[in-house]
Amino acid sequence: MHRLAFSKSDTAKYISHLDLMRTLQRAFLRAGLAIRHTEGFNPHAFVSIPLPLSVGFSSACEVLECELLGNPDLGAVPARMNAVLPAGIAVSRCYEAVRPVKELCYVNYIVTLDYENGAPFGAETAIRDLLARDSLVVAKKSKKARSGQVEVDLIPLIRRASVEERRDSITLDLILRAQNPGLNPELVVGAVRRDCPEASPDFVCVHRRAVLDDQLQPWE
Amino acid sequence: MNRTLEHILPRVQKPARYTGGEYGAVVKDRRQVDIRYALCFPDTYEIGMSNLGLRILYGVMNAMDGVWCERVFAPWGDMEAELRREGVLLYGLESGDAIADFDLIGFSLGYEMAYSNVLNMLDLAGLPVRSADRPGPGPIVVAGGTCAFNPEPLAPFVDLFALGEGEDVSVEIIELCRRAKEEGWSKPEFLAAAARIPGVYVPALYQVDYAPDGTVAAITPREGAPRTVAKRIVQDFDSSYFPVQTIVPSTEIVHDRVMLELFRGCIRGCRFCQAGYAYRPVRARDPERLIRQGIEACRRSGYQEMTLSSLSTSDYRPLERLCDGLLDWCEPNRVSLSLPSLRADNFSMGLMERLQHVRKSGLTFAPEAGTQRLRDAINKNVTEEEILRSCRTAFSGGWSSVKLYFMLGLPTETDEDVLGIADLAEKVFQAWKETTPNPRRGVTITVSTACFVPKPHTAFQWEPQVSMEEYQRRVKLLRDHMRGRSIKYNWHDPETSFLEAVFSRGDRRLAGVLETAWRAGARLDAWTEYFDFGRWMDAFAACGLDPAFYAGRPRDPAELLPWSVTSAGVSTPFLLRERERAYQAVITPDCRKRCTGCGADKLYPGGKCDA
Repeated sequence: MHRLAFSKSDTAKYISHLDLMRTLQRAFLRAGLAIRHTEGFNPHAFVSIPLPLSVGFSSACEVLECELLGNPDLGAVPARMNAVLPAGIAVSRCYEAVRPVKELCYVNYIVTLDYENGAPFGAETAIRDLLARDSLVVAKKSKKARSGQVEVDLIPLIRRASVEERRDSITLDLILRAQNPGLNPELVVGAVRRDCPEASPDFVCVHRRAVLDDQLQPWE
Repeated sequence: MNRTLEHILPRVQKPARYTGGEYGAVVKDRRQVDIRYALCFPDTYEIGMSNLGLRILYGVMNAMDGVWCERVFAPWGDMEAELRREGVLLYGLESGDAIADFDLIGFSLGYEMAYSNVLNMLDLAGLPVRSADRPGPGPIVVAGGTCAFNPEPLAPFVDLFALGEGEDVSVEIIELCRRAKEEGWSKPEFLAAAARIPGVYVPALYQVDYAPDGTVAAITPREGAPRTVAKRIVQDFDSSYFPVQTIVPSTEIVHDRVMLELFRGCIRGCRFCQAGYAYRPVRARDPERLIRQGIEACRRSGYQEMTLSSLSTSDYRPLERLCDGLLDWCEPNRVSLSLPSLRADNFSMGLMERLQHVRKSGLTFAPEAGTQRLRDAINKNVTEEEILRSCRTAFSGGWSSVKLYFMLGLPTETDEDVLGIADLAEKVFQAWKETTPNPRRGVTITVSTACFVPKPHTAFQWEPQVSMEEYQRRVKLLRDHMRGRSIKYNWHDPETSFLEAVFSRGDRRLAGVLETAWRAGARLDAWTEYFDFGRWMDAFAACGLDPAFYAGRPRDPAELLPWSVTSAGVSTPFLLRERERAYQAVITPDCRKRCTGCGADKLYPGGKCDA
């Protein structure tokens, strides 16, 4: 099994997860790289992305799993792929998968809260206090629950959070649980909107900076 | 990317439609180009990106030095609301620049129900919709495509129409535009010069007068504009440009595959079919070239599906050789091959077996009419026995779903013809029972009917459309006679067909209706989510025009038709002869059996038809 580390930014932020899978499969074909397919009547490429990224988020640390056939030179794969990828997607590395996906424990997000008229006075402190609570329960959409939503306490899923005010924005540097269950930073922003309405941003920008293991070291 | 756009996109559906940046999109340096062209498709990204013509013109224009052609599509309603709210002007997908600053804005017109989008897109671009309100400087608005064969309903909005195939004429228009820019011509000077380019129709140079009964009394060209504008064609189609390197959308579109164009024109001469007349003469591409292009297009795009496109694919002479050559490469490379527009009369076992190698999808046949008499009248030269034989071939090969397309309201149609559709469906069902290897799996026979829309430049251009009430009566008649659970009947609503009939044969006065309906909110009218028939009827009333005058009125052959300046190369005496034969239910053999003398081969000196 191989892994491709890639970034997703600019116009490519709006490519959905399913479209991205299709886009990457086609890029492999354009690059002349054969990947393993499923057997069966309608074979399809065997590719997966462990942590799907929400539409509109940028990321410096996406990972695609696949199996390259025919022992290609892995060092040459990024250049071959980058020549045939859409704008905004760039492969930085291709390597043999070593660590299991279950060791991918945390994700580091940079969430920028933009305010057209500057960050409101006290917003930074309000958000910091909010994230320092013992418990912060929010409603989350759920396909399983009959009511269509479940309650989640965000605090146990936030490993680390720092809040920093800039001129027109407040930046949240968050380390959130990646999986089982993971935490989407949009829920954190939702909690800010609900509990600190005066700190509600006009626009939110989310960037996935790094994926980490349980020691908060980069997972790859 | 533009910051305002970044704020908008998270709030709209399918934002990837509005960003550009796809693999294969052409990005040039603004400082290195002197002509900016906005190639506009008046429907959504998913529809527009599926259009082969758009991809061809994009490639042709971007191959020109100093020219940057960008794509523009109609935004969905949510995006339109955001663009208007934030004051973002309609932009080219490649650069993000407002198209109001471009030199040329070209629309591809394939469907009358997209006309409201043309006006809406001009408005979203920040431009006045009427040509007279755009005195220049500013972009020249060009339109082409099949609907340009009756340009009149859009005449006051568009500066010039390009008739026929756009590969050559687009280049000539751009070159003229470049010269006009360099020499500082006024817009009227440019348009007068453009009218001298063969295939270009400048509506402002024609005065239209109406008779008291509402018909066109006279069309008078001014300033040396030609009395007749004949369409352009690519003379050497075999070696003409085909986009082997093309854009691969990052989000799913309707026809998300390689489209290989086998030939243009059609040998069949179905009397209702505008494409069949308007795309003459027949010109085919060499199979070896097609095999190379198909393989190359798959390699360069990464598509794993290829379709063979033309008006009637099974009429391509070397079809089996082409399929063999493509399948030799497609099968080991897991590329599936599909063949649309197969005819029921020559669907062969050999062809079916080749297709079986890839994927077994549903089969579609278009008998168009239920009885032999009516099929003869419309010159759909396919017999019931041929349809049933093709169905038996398919059923015995394991196919278990067939779609049958028909039109209701064809000229000379009687109730007997309508009921013939139910009979034919029943016979197809019996054919399945007799031939299927797995009767327990069942069969689905889907019958669809649409209301016939008479089109300009066809043998039926003088015919009335049946009223909506009459269409519905025939639908009910057919529905009451459809038996059996295996036969499913779908019918299209007649309201859009009625409006199509109005606009396809309308005159310049309909521009007022179009503008009124658009100002009242009409846009994306090809989509049921947006289509509002009442809004259109209100617009007709406000303009004092009766839509039935356009849709339901038989025209006398002596009447001056609003589109009579345009010529598809097919002579009017030929069309009248075909109309007469329709009344007699006499077929005209296909062009391969005998040349019908339609005139399309005479479009150019030394022109020929490769039927």
